[in-house]
Amino acid sequence: MSRFRKVIMWAGLTLIVALIFLSMYGAFLGAERAQNLFNTLPAAVYWSAFIIILAAGFVVFRRLVRITALSLIHCGCILVLAGGMWGSEAGHKMQSQLFGIDKIRTGQMAIYEGKTENHVAVEDVEQIKELPFSIKLKDFRLEHYKPEYLQVLTRDGEGWKVPVEVGTEFFLGENLGTVTIVRTFENFKIRIENEERKITDEPESGYNPALEVKIKSPEGDEETRYVFERFPGHTHPEDELLLSYRRVIRDYVSELEIIKDGKIVVEKNIEVNHPLYFGGYHFYQHSYDAEAGQYTVLMVTSDTGLGLVYAGYAMLCFGVFWQLWVRNIFAQKKKRK
Amino acid sequence: MEIKYTVQGLLIYAAMGAYLLAFVTTLLHRRKAGWMLYLFGFIIAVSAFGYRWYDVRHVPLQNLFEVFLCLGMIYPVTLFCYRFLRVGGVCGDMLIGAIVLFPAGFVFNAEPQRLPPALQCWLFVPHVAVYMLSYVFMAKATFQAVCELAGKSHNAEENLLGPEEATYRMICVGFPLLTLGLVLGSWWGKVAWGDYWGWDPKELWSLASWLVYVGYFHFRYMFGKKRPRINSTWAIAGMAVIIITLLWVNLSRLFAGLHSYAT
Repeated sequence: MSRFRKVIMWAGLTLIVALIFLSMYGAFLGAERAQNLFNTLPAAVYWSAFIIILAAGFVVFRRLVRITALSLIHCGCILVLAGGMWGSEAGHKMQSQLFGIDKIRTGQMAIYEGKTENHVAVEDVEQIKELPFSIKLKDFRLEHYKPEYLQVLTRDGEGWKVPVEVGTEFFLGENLGTVTIVRTFENFKIRIENEERKITDEPESGYNPALEVKIKSPEGDEETRYVFERFPGHTHPEDELLLSYRRVIRDYVSELEIIKDGKIVVEKNIEVNHPLYFGGYHFYQHSYDAEAGQYTVLMVTSDTGLGLVYAGYAMLCFGVFWQLWVRNIFAQKKKRK
Repeated sequence: MEIKYTVQGLLIYAAMGAYLLAFVTTLLHRRKAGWMLYLFGFIIAVSAFGYRWYDVRHVPLQNLFEVFLCLGMIYPVTLFCYRFLRVGGVCGDMLIGAIVLFPAGFVFNAEPQRLPPALQCWLFVPHVAVYMLSYVFMAKATFQAVCELAGKSHNAEENLLGPEEATYRMICVGFPLLTLGLVLGSWWGKVAWGDYWGWDPKELWSLASWLVYVGYFHFRYMFGKKRPRINSTWAIAGMAVIIITLLWVNLSRLFAGLHSYAT
């Protein structure tokens, strides 16, 4: 290996080892601080050096040009790094200054049910920016796994999972009697009407899931209890049975409409793993109103540089499999012949 | 540490027992009986995995218990490497099979869990499965690397590769899978969390493990087989980082992040 080639190779190896240790260090810092670390000016210099060394490899090592798989691997790495830098915070700033492209890199928007919104709280610059179109939230809902369960626990630690089926009596044993779920509530409310307490379910005005449970002792005494999902431990010290109502969330769904120039251009229900793509932005289900279920919080991210990164990934994967699997298989076959 | 007095637990212990018995039998030069016991252990390990699948109603790769249960089905990899790649270490694989089932049998909780929304994606199974398969190949590479460092030569009678070359061949098979796992994970990150790279501790450790093998290839390209001990050290370092990625990141509170559900 010539001296110049050796220098390039050692430089490449040094950058790889440095990135190994930086990654380990970054892992100890946590995601947020690691992101800051890898987006500093020295880090930008490092990433640029990495791209230059990869490019220099093509000039110095003819093998990288001659063997397609190796070209794909190294070109793939260059594209991933370039795409990452182009889509970074600094990349967006540069595009704004050089080309006047003022795109939101990442931010969040809260939309109330039935309302239309185009304001995005931008994280990088801590300001509110506007999208060139609006989003309407038709409805937000939580979906739970079925069946749901009422958990019944005795003071001795014995427990049962009672399926939430209205009207079905569940036998706990000869000493304890039965429990029956009488009614389910999405938003449990108590109203006083004519000096009388009235229990109602008002799902449109809030979120307070609960169960009405009838406990029947072996002696025939009946007791009615209300069990709340969001307020566990709502029991009296003298209660023999501890009841809790826990549901497992299966999905968060926001029903959205994109409105541009006064017209609905896209309609989509977004869920976790099913974002909406429109106008160079991806919209993700990020958070929601846990108190009343009245609004959703969407994460907005720009697609700048994403194409380069994905192209790089494809080239990298294809190149690695071609070089290490397919070429080796062909080489073995040739040897045998 | 807890003993599982359940059907699931019994299947795991039976598979471990068969693997250990296969290991001892092979050490005593009863190779055929060793292979038979190894196959028997594999059938039980598959049953344990299938039972779990039936129990939780989704592909059981959600948490560390399920991941180690999956890793216990190592037999086809051993057979493939032995028959087609001329890589030995069969005895070591039997031991690896028993070792990876140990955490499933005694350490991790087997309480069935529902899939959280983030895991309800078609990328979940290929991402985890590809990683697990690559880890098995890398574990075999590490075994060969340790043999190289210990000065063990290859068995000429069986026409198997020497430890250094076997290490390289195993990494050649495992590295594309490791790359695919990383890329699929990144793609999934974009689909689920909005970014293809979130600088999460698990992501950074998996990048570090990928880079160690990238370093291995470049170092081996520079020096070839002239420095077999350093080549082997790279391979062992890669496995050490994989273990941290798989275990420490999920178990330690030091690395709280987006992958915390996998504990």
